[in-house]
Amino acid sequence: MKMSTVVRSTTKMISPFLVTYAAYIMLYGHLSPGGGFQGGVILAVAVILLITSHGYKKVRKRFKFNWASLIESSAGAMLVLLGIAGIAFGAFYSNFLPTEGGVIVPFNVIVGLEVGAAFTFVFYILLRWVESD
Amino acid sequence: MIPLMVAFPLLFGFIIVILDTLRAKKILIKASFILGAVLPAGIFLVGNGREIVGGWSRVAGIEVGIGEINAPFIAGELMLFTVVAFYSLSYFDFRDKKTAKALVLFLLMHAGLLGAFLARDFFNFYIYMEIASVSAFALVAFSEEPGSKKAAFKYLILSLLASYLFIFAIGVIYMETGYLNVELVAENALPSRELSTALGVAFASLLLKAGIFPLHGWLPDAHSKAPTPVSALLSGLVVKAPAYGMILLFSALPVGESLKTAAMMVAVASIFFGIVMALLQKDAKRLLAYHTVSQMGYVLLGIATFNFIGAAYYALAHSLFKGGLFLSVGSLGTRSRKLGEFGYRNAPLMAFSVLMLSLAIGGVSPFIGSYAKGLISSGLEGGLKWTVLAGTIGTLVSFTKLNYHLSRGETEDLRPSWKLSSLVLALTTLGAGLYLGAGLKPTDVIYIAAAVLTFFGLRALGVFEREVESEAKDVGRDVNVLAAVFVTFMLAVLLLQWP
Repeated sequence: MKMSTVVRSTTKMISPFLVTYAAYIMLYGHLSPGGGFQGGVILAVAVILLITSHGYKKVRKRFKFNWASLIESSAGAMLVLLGIAGIAFGAFYSNFLPTEGGVIVPFNVIVGLEVGAAFTFVFYILLRWVESD
Repeated sequence: MIPLMVAFPLLFGFIIVILDTLRAKKILIKASFILGAVLPAGIFLVGNGREIVGGWSRVAGIEVGIGEINAPFIAGELMLFTVVAFYSLSYFDFRDKKTAKALVLFLLMHAGLLGAFLARDFFNFYIYMEIASVSAFALVAFSEEPGSKKAAFKYLILSLLASYLFIFAIGVIYMETGYLNVELVAENALPSRELSTALGVAFASLLLKAGIFPLHGWLPDAHSKAPTPVSALLSGLVVKAPAYGMILLFSALPVGESLKTAAMMVAVASIFFGIVMALLQKDAKRLLAYHTVSQMGYVLLGIATFNFIGAAYYALAHSLFKGGLFLSVGSLGTRSRKLGEFGYRNAPLMAFSVLMLSLAIGGVSPFIGSYAKGLISSGLEGGLKWTVLAGTIGTLVSFTKLNYHLSRGETEDLRPSWKLSSLVLALTTLGAGLYLGAGLKPTDVIYIAAAVLTFFGLRALGVFEREVESEAKDVGRDVNVLAAVFVTFMLAVLLLQWP
């Protein structure tokens, strides 16, 4: 399903901004409303918008199915490892970074990647049933 | 250190997904699966006591701990899961792409169950119980048997309905007391209408998730249609998480006399209903599934009499013998599961394990079942003690039937690891019974004799000829009926607490 030129150029223009906005929400989640989950959903929306306007086949060539799976699972593993790293400083998930926000910043970024990849992954799997293009 | 028990299965679950996407060698996937299954046991042996994740304060943080009430639950989980993990490596044989996904779901269930048993606050308990249930739905649907998708759907809808009502009840508790931590709730809870409503709603939803009598409708299908190792985990462990939740609820909130009496009556009804339905089954796995309904009645009996230690040890005993029975009956009956069409006539080792496990579930000494039953009945008064005794004889009658049919049939090739896992669980029930100090009771001989006589009497009367409750055809209608039963039961529990 390929949409009209207007829709395609608009989504092409919006998507980079969405990714930037997602990065902002993830990185400033400890100071302002937002956080990993919200950032991740916006990240996934950037991909999903492109899929709906340009068609599944075309986007899949650039952003492969396996990448989504790989990013999702390695983000999950990193999340657990971040908690285990805290053991060395006293407790599981202890706040060992001296920077502002501590471990919350890496935590939010990893959760964002996890959620973004997982939502894209789910969308890819659902599209298989719809039999698009 | 304690949170690592949940972290390891999760970590290795994610690692298996990475390895599977990269098409790594099978041996690596198998090794990570075994590591994820076994490593938490190491931490269980080292760690002890309680701690708050991340070193926060108790009011804001998440408290986890291993104490005398949840240690039996965790011990049972670790022992059964380790055996099932080795069993499932040979059961799912990497012939299709699904195997790695099944192993990941197993590890997720492992993490969920451990997290639920470690939890000391309601919200975390809920989250981890849900992780375990969601992987359970997916694993039931993995079976290739006809009807398994329907069973999984029924399980999914009813279990989620119960979950949403449970989280609503937790919300009410939080609104009333201001805490989610079990001990802080217990200190701050004053008897009020809101709290008794929350207690009733949460109790009814946990009863559904534990598959106890009036709300058991989804259980026989889901537990009998699932692949064998999954059945063992569902019956042995997944229904124990809600039971632990009931312990948390009852120890934190003011429980009125009427609710206690109602819980006791439900427990007794569940014990006998499960036995009667099991006697009338012709499908071996369905028979075992109905025994789960009956055995969960004993656990509820322990909880209703505030004998939490007894309930916990009964849960441990039930995970060991029911897991073992599902594994052995499932491996014997790969071709057909109809009673009389398969058996252990040509597999003496299997016969030995099944007999030992049957004696254990009947509560015969010196197996662990007898110790746990002793603990449960020590907290009971006159009349109820006799019901436990009657339940014992009923269970033994039903397992005489199972063994009678099994001893007449033959089985095909059994893999060595399948025989070994049944034997290990059978020996564990005996070893744990001896370790906990279940002495020999000569009266057990009388019970067994009575049970065998009753079995042949009933057979002569032709009771076993009839079969109740065949396959359901319309899932939608089934779900509607069961949801209506659930809502009615919940309203009854709420009205019971009317001051």
